[in-house]
Amino acid sequence: MKAAILSGKGGTGKTTVSTHLAALFPDALYVDMDVEEPNGDLFLNPEWNDRIPVSVIYPEIDNDKCTHCRNCAAFCRFNALIAGKALTISMKEICHGCGGCALVCPSDAIRYRERIIGYVSRGITRFGSPIISGKMDVGEFSGVPLIDRIRTMDRTEALQIIDSPPGTSCTTVAAVEGCDLAVIVTEPTPFALSDMKRTVEMLRTMKLPFAVVINKAGMGDRGVYDYCRDESIDILGEIPFSLELAGAYATGVMLDSVSPQLQKEYRKIMDGMKRKAGMPGVAV
Amino acid sequence: MIVALCSTGFDDQAELDSRFGRCSHFLFFDTDQRTFKTVSNSAKDASGGAGAQAVQILVNFGTGVLIAPDVGPQAMDALQAMNISVFRQGSITLPDKAIKAWENHRLEEQQKASVAGMHRA
Repeated sequence: MKAAILSGKGGTGKTTVSTHLAALFPDALYVDMDVEEPNGDLFLNPEWNDRIPVSVIYPEIDNDKCTHCRNCAAFCRFNALIAGKALTISMKEICHGCGGCALVCPSDAIRYRERIIGYVSRGITRFGSPIISGKMDVGEFSGVPLIDRIRTMDRTEALQIIDSPPGTSCTTVAAVEGCDLAVIVTEPTPFALSDMKRTVEMLRTMKLPFAVVINKAGMGDRGVYDYCRDESIDILGEIPFSLELAGAYATGVMLDSVSPQLQKEYRKIMDGMKRKAGMPGVAV
Repeated sequence: MIVALCSTGFDDQAELDSRFGRCSHFLFFDTDQRTFKTVSNSAKDASGGAGAQAVQILVNFGTGVLIAPDVGPQAMDALQAMNISVFRQGSITLPDKAIKAWENHRLEEQQKASVAGMHRA
């Protein structure tokens, strides 16, 4: 089972839920696909074995061959090519690497070079479980190539927890694609509910089964509960709003201070996830 | 020589825009004819790379000099590659004043980008 943990609103507890599940079920592969700011490793403290660079292509114009016909500049919807009367240039930081400019060039003046936009690391967490984490370089505009790279990696674990990017952007869609199930981590606030509705719309469009975990339960209002009831969305579990938990999170020792009640709640969540994916449940 | 300016409106009476890539209109001043020509900036609503697209517009109009607010690093690279000199408009708000200041060598030339990306709405 590949389970995407997502949220809509940022800061609702995707990484909290993902890392707790990874720590309590060490058979599971934890995958950090929140490549713009991966932070699961802060709690899982892995030893890294592998660090793989991820590259994208960008065009280089041979101005001896180029006739400045402007075909490439007219074709590029990201405006990564600028064509003058006697000089045509490419802007590598703007290029999305589609490879289209070489196709429309009648003069064979375009060659592609590669540049690194980030790294994918592989390791073992301090709980002995496998971890893969993608990290985009500062200044880059898209983490999708990193996520695509992770998706092509050899991942044989029966249980995979995919810590996904917030929102409903291209990176989130890329992280969720190919998963069997999605878990929306939300909090009982109007802001979280508003963003969660977009996530629900995204998941329904992608035809992916999903359920909800409510973090910081006890604060805010009943809006999220009412919405889940009206839309027949299962709530798999609730993690209480607690100062103690927030303090443990802030000092990075969150996973060492899981109370028996909280452990039971996470087992209940995993049980619900497995049943939702059509698998046998787990003992709670 | 064509001098480009970033304008907020349709004619040479409109104030200068405080943005380059996403300015409302470009004003092209022909130093030989002493005339202005205005075009709306089609790069204004680009989701990304507005600066680069704006440079393409400048290139299409044969621009040799750009008088502008601060220009971001990517657009600046492109402008330099396309041999367009960039001068800071500073606190000047009207096109004819900016042209006069440039002709009297009172504008500062921008050599490289002052900040890492503008990204202004």
